[in-house]
Amino acid sequence: MKILYSHLVEHIQEKPSIQKLSENLFQLGHEHEIEGDIFDMEFTPNRGDCLSLNGLLRDLAVFYTINSNQKIYTKEIDQLSIDFENLADDICTHITFLKLEISDIPEQYNDSMNKYFKDLDISKNNFFTDVSNYLSYETGQPTHCYDESKIKGKFTFEEINISNEFETLFNKKINLSKKNAVFLLDGEVINLAGVIGGKNTACSSTTKTVLVECAYFRPEAIIGKSVRYDIKSEAAHKFERGVDPECHDEVLRRFIKIVSDHANIKSMSIVSHKARNRPIYKIPISVNKINQIIGLNLSKKEYLGYLVKLGFIIEGNSIIPPSYRADIQTNNDLAEEVARVVGYNNIERLNINIPKNTEVNRYEIENKIKYFLLDHGFYEVINSPFVGSISKKAIKVDNPLDSNREYLRTNITNSLLDNLLYNEKRQQDSVKLFEISDIYYSDSDNGQQKKRMLSIIASGKVGLNYEDFSKKINEQYLVEIFHKILPNHDLVFHKISRDNLDTKIKNEIISFEIDIKNFSTDTLLYKEISRPPKGFIQYSPISEQPSSIKDISFLIKDYSKTRDLQDLLLSYTNEIVKQVYIFDYFVNEKRGEIKIGFRFIFQSKITTLTTDEIDIVYNEIVEISHGIKGIMIPGIK
Amino acid sequence: MPDHKDIAPPELIKDRGSLHPINHMKDSIMSLLVSFGFEIVDGPEIETEEFNFDMLNIKKSHPARQMHDTFYVENKSYLLRTHTSPVQIRGMLKKKPPLAFISGGKVYRKDDDATHLPMFHQVEGIYVDKDISFAHLKDLIYKIIYSLFGNNVELRFRPSYFPFTEPSAEVDILSNEGKWLEILGCGLVNPIVLENCNIDSNKYSGLAFGLGIERIAMLKYGVTDIRDFYKANLDFLRQFK
Repeated sequence: MKILYSHLVEHIQEKPSIQKLSENLFQLGHEHEIEGDIFDMEFTPNRGDCLSLNGLLRDLAVFYTINSNQKIYTKEIDQLSIDFENLADDICTHITFLKLEISDIPEQYNDSMNKYFKDLDISKNNFFTDVSNYLSYETGQPTHCYDESKIKGKFTFEEINISNEFETLFNKKINLSKKNAVFLLDGEVINLAGVIGGKNTACSSTTKTVLVECAYFRPEAIIGKSVRYDIKSEAAHKFERGVDPECHDEVLRRFIKIVSDHANIKSMSIVSHKARNRPIYKIPISVNKINQIIGLNLSKKEYLGYLVKLGFIIEGNSIIPPSYRADIQTNNDLAEEVARVVGYNNIERLNINIPKNTEVNRYEIENKIKYFLLDHGFYEVINSPFVGSISKKAIKVDNPLDSNREYLRTNITNSLLDNLLYNEKRQQDSVKLFEISDIYYSDSDNGQQKKRMLSIIASGKVGLNYEDFSKKINEQYLVEIFHKILPNHDLVFHKISRDNLDTKIKNEIISFEIDIKNFSTDTLLYKEISRPPKGFIQYSPISEQPSSIKDISFLIKDYSKTRDLQDLLLSYTNEIVKQVYIFDYFVNEKRGEIKIGFRFIFQSKITTLTTDEIDIVYNEIVEISHGIKGIMIPGIK
Repeated sequence: MPDHKDIAPPELIKDRGSLHPINHMKDSIMSLLVSFGFEIVDGPEIETEEFNFDMLNIKKSHPARQMHDTFYVENKSYLLRTHTSPVQIRGMLKKKPPLAFISGGKVYRKDDDATHLPMFHQVEGIYVDKDISFAHLKDLIYKIIYSLFGNNVELRFRPSYFPFTEPSAEVDILSNEGKWLEILGCGLVNPIVLENCNIDSNKYSGLAFGLGIERIAMLKYGVTDIRDFYKANLDFLRQFK
């Protein structure tokens, strides 16, 4: 909600700056952004009472002297006779109607109203609706204006099951469905209560007699309606969060005053239907309890002083929250009020000492498995559980985000297969992945079941180093690895066929999926090599550009230069060199020479590299390599 | 001249894999909390409305309970948990205070954009004992955030609203660019929730907090699109060693 700084400060005697006010608002829990002269407020859902100029001023009263200049009509008003029946007074516990007739429709608005429409960029409708909108901004209470001449017939409020088309006053046609709280005229819906009024009974630019409806609706009856019908409604936003059930008289008297500031009122009458009183909470005064909750040492005087400034009433030994604070019922609620006023950031820390727990870490085995896999070049992934598969055991999501993914996966392997193909498409020629996750499924005999599974998938080169470069991942490779950690287990590996996959790569895909339960504490005997990452990692955005490969092979007669060359090239950096590793190493004793091959992978972050761009860097690598004496690059001088 | 027949083969560099950055962040935070005295508890991802909402004082009318915010399964008889809090409810029903639980894992909400995903990770903690105050909660939060972001980071506590805590707070840290960034939510356990778990709220009080792992990981690593965590791109994963 947007509130003008100038509107606020107009009523604050001390005239704080916008920055000072911003600090106060944050301290009170009212998050916002400042756009020029406007506070764009985001209130927590329990603070519906703050959704107005006056609501915010009520909260700011703990810091400042508030001088309201909003005058109200104070004289007696005639009783209105209206044929209205409230058939759902559990939802609408209090409703008031005001009938007003004016002589002429004003052409100009006064300063406050002008500023509201101009500075907050709100479009005008017609006089009465504009007053209603301004009043909602000022007081927080939405009112609805009917053209009085159109309200002829049996007028009721009901909550009914309905399927009907309804045209809003903004000419939007909606199809009402299910249960709705509505106002009806001779059985026809004329107002979707608390959300938006109908076109047929709305005020127009010629309306001179208005029937203003001012109501309290139980939030539960309004919630979800504006979303269901895709209507942006400030009224609904307020009713959903709860408005002040006791404000009708004052709000409507303010309505009259604003109208009378603009036009000559020919007649007015009012009637109020109150079905039941709101629940009143009386909380016993206990400053000790409050101090205990917050960890402060306030005196009773300070404590009650804060509450009185916030509009609370002290009656004997009890505290009574004001009618607009339906969210306050307990000492914990009051403690939050006090803590806000003191300032959360001004509350001193008290050393916390949690007794040490003696439970063992039940994730020990799982962690061991993870490090074992890391040691063998496997990367951990996490996948979404939503899939389109239709395994009979899959649990169905009633309201999926994507109708092609309306089931929970019953295996991890299929997700890993997608991950593998994704990486192969990005020219990764050695892919080893694993995931550990809970899997849920429904069993016709036993109902909903849960298993914690490990799944792995691997394909391509065993590793990107000179020993593993020419070896391809196959079942034997995985059997050998897993034998180390599951020596007594018959492992069943699957070879996934590429026949139906969208790929031209021929490497075998090997996978397996196993219940974590199969790993015993023997697993803990494994001594891992990998270590968790240390220190600061600054992520560098990944590139979606294609990569290119360049291999350079060297002949070395002076064996001692091998390390020099390795140190030089493996630490070589250039913004288009993504990766470098030794893919070939061979000692030819007969000829007294070493052959060593380096693979460079080139990739740009922003563009597809041209041969020329790659050659510039390639030539630089060749040149610096030649700096090491006693090495040769066959084919290059 | 050195004996050129001394063979010094190049170092064999084996490619080690990496932990997923989200799991790594989650586990690091949980280990930190275990060192503070918390005990890890687990619970199901498929939950009932009772444990996910009712027991936590989230009323039937709360927007979170609408079909557009929560995934329901099996003809609305269950839901995918929207937070890890129900795990703590289950824990409190089993154990009497003093108790200090943490739970971490996947949670689900119907969201999908650059900063929100339908599946994300949380770590939440609860500590119930005699005379636990908001000042104690502040101390714990300072300790957690100092461990995560260093002792020089500036913190700000703001009043907030969660149905299961009262008073409630959100905590921001000041970024290097001078912007306040929301890091976690916390508060004193609402006495209604303690009573729901058969804990005498006149005798005991509790503190609770919850962190979104993706949010913290994005801040710490400088990842700007949350979706990058879940593409399984090896070029991405390799960076987190």
